[in-house]
Formats: sequence, C-alpha cells, structure tokens
Amino acid sequence: MAAALASRFSRGRSLIGSLSNAFSGLMNSSNGIMNGNILSQQQQRTFIQMGTNLKVVDNSGAKEVKCIQSLKANKKGARLGDIIVGSVKEAIPSGKVKKGMVVYGVVVRAAMPKRRVDGSQVKFDDNAIVVVGIKEKKKQKKVEFNQPTGTRVFGPVPHEMRRKKQLKILALAQHIV
Amino acid sequence: MATSFNRLPPQALHMITRNPTQSSKKLGFSTFLSCAPSVDSSFSRLSLNHSGSKFGLSLDTRVRKEFIVRAEDNAEAEPEEAAVDGIVDAEGNVEEVVEVGEAKSMRKPRIKLGDVMGILNKKAIEVSEKVRPVPEIRTGDIVEIKLEVPENRRRLSIYKGIVMSRQNAGIHTTIRIRRIIAGIGVEIVFPIYSPNIKEIKVMSHRKVRRARLYYLRDKLPRLSTFK
Repeated sequence: MAAALASRFSRGRSLIGSLSNAFSGLMNSSNGIMNGNILSQQQQRTFIQMGTNLKVVDNSGAKEVKCIQSLKANKKGARLGDIIVGSVKEAIPSGKVKKGMVVYGVVVRAAMPKRRVDGSQVKFDDNAIVVVGIKEKKKQKKVEFNQPTGTRVFGPVPHEMRRKKQLKILALAQHIV
Repeated sequence: MATSFNRLPPQALHMITRNPTQSSKKLGFSTFLSCAPSVDSSFSRLSLNHSGSKFGLSLDTRVRKEFIVRAEDNAEAEPEEAAVDGIVDAEGNVEEVVEVGEAKSMRKPRIKLGDVMGILNKKAIEVSEKVRPVPEIRTGDIVEIKLEVPENRRRLSIYKGIVMSRQNAGIHTTIRIRRIIAGIGVEIVFPIYSPNIKEIKVMSHRKVRRARLYYLRDKLPRLSTFK
C-alpha cells in the first residue's frame, strides 16, 4: 500500500514494475516523454484509493471527502464510474450530509484516463464524486447505489455513467462529455 | 542472407535450382551470383518464383547492374545448366536478356517483413480516407469534432478544443483535445481515423512553439476555453 501511494506521486516514465499493468493505457501519453526528458515531468495519474481526497460535486452538503475504501473488487483502487466509501472532511453548515459522516459516492471525474471501446480516452483535471448514499450505523447492506443524495450535479459528467446505471446523475448533469 | 548463400555448396545450389518454379519473368536473382563468381559458369541464372520463394530476396540496384553484366556474359558462353526453365541456347538468351530487361521494369519489389505493418497501415488509412477525408491537423489547431456515440443514440456529440498533441501511429493516429467544460478541464484522445468520428473541422489556429502543449494543464483555464 505504501508503494502504491508512493507511485501515485511518481513522475516521469512508468518504471514501477508492479503497477506497470495499470499504465498500459497511459503508454500512449507517456510515449512522448519516454525518450529521456526528465525535466518535463508528467504526473502519472493512478487510481482512487484509501486516502485520496475528492471533491463533491452535488448539493448534498459535503464539500470534500477522503476515500476510505473502494468498493471495486480491484485491489488497486477505484476508477471513473466506481463506487467508493468516503469520510466527509468538509461540509457546508446546513446540508443533509455533515462532517464526519461516512458516505458512499460514485466517481464522476477522475484524473486517470479512462479508455473507451472506440479507442478514445477521456481524463479530467480533478477527482470528483457524487454522494449516492450514507452509511448507517445499523449496518444495512446496500447493494444498489443509484439515487444521488443531492438534487443537482455540477460540472461535466462522462457518459460512462450510463453503463454504470447512474441515470439520475446523467439527467441532472450540466454537460455530458 | 547473402552469407548463407556463400556457405552453400554447389550441390545444394543445384538442388535449389531444381525447385519447380514457373515464372515467365525472371523475377529474382540470388545475391550469391555477385558474391561467388566462380560458380557462375555452371549456374547461369536462378529464377525464383515470386510467391513461392523462401528466400525473400530484395533487389538493390547493385545486384541489378551486376545481373545485367552477367546476363550479357552468359549470353555467349552458355553451357548446359541446371534445370532452369526457358533457357535453351545462346540465341534464346539474348532474347531473354531483352525480355528480362523489360520484365525488370515491370517487376514488383519484394516486400520485406519489416515493411508489412507500414503497408497494412497505409491500406487501412486509404480505406478510411475514402469514407471520410481527414484534414491536416497539427498541434495548436482549434478543432471541432462531431462524434457518433453508440451509447447516446441521439444527435452527434460535439467536441471542441485545442489540439495538444498528435501521436502518429498509422491507423491509430490520435489527437488529444483539451477544453474547459463547465469549469473543469477535460482532455480527450481521439483516433482520427475512427469510423465513429463523423466530422473533423479545423476552426482556427493558435501559434504554439511546441509539439505537445502539456503546459496548458498548469496555466490559467482562460487559455483552454473555447466558445
């Protein structure tokens, strides 16, 4: 895990053997700097994992969330469209979600490029989630996370949400990329 | 290839020439002709079938010139040689020289293994260009792309932005478009020969002094905003 966190801040070429599989999609972008340009350091964007700070882009009340767990089976972390569990670090005073609550969120924007079936890739400048559920003390097992807690969504939303069955978010979105 | 021919004994060469190769045009000549002049008298010419040959020889002009010289030499002194089709007598040789001279200009160059991917890519690009011609796109162009997304099934999605980079890779030549959408910077990589792309139009051009504009990520959003 420490190695994974360290690799998140790695610069330059993808020399990390263990995570080199993850960067197969990034090879296109990193090929331009493969030829020994150490000075221009491109950040290798990776998964959303425990400790990642994410913006919240709806009006549920939360502003910043720190990822606790990615609900994906992939042990490397969450990507665009996956659901994460997070702890609210910052919230507006009057909102449904308060600071310190544990929430479920779906990643709507990720700095890591997401490849599409037609050969294109999309990446955003930041990491952002939309809150889709609040974790209760009663430990009720929730399976479906379809309904966002807020009523508005800000910023662009990729149409990967359609595949992930997050149709409400698509309906509320300002702009679908 | 040439060195392996040097080491072959003449008997082996004899066997090689007995390959049932029918070709009216004398297409290929082993380079050993030029390298091992001693055996030239016994084997006047090797004719290798264009498709059936295992040797895949490529002809450079040097070999061609030497071939012409040897053909002329062999025109007079033509002993019986090893089962090469069509070469009968001195008179026939002269004709063949002429014929070979003409055949040489019509002969297709042997395709080397290393060229195969390049040729395949060119063919694929030609097919794609027939359906939709792709304009000349360079870094710094501000382009508008109309994309058909099978998921959307509605109107075509429109993507506008500045071309940050162009990666040339044959049929998978891609361009990276950057734009500020709803306050957030978005970069999308498009393969320009994709059939999903219905239209690419260059709107304008910004003067840039780089091939890849990754510096735009750190700059003000104003520089990546396009109406």
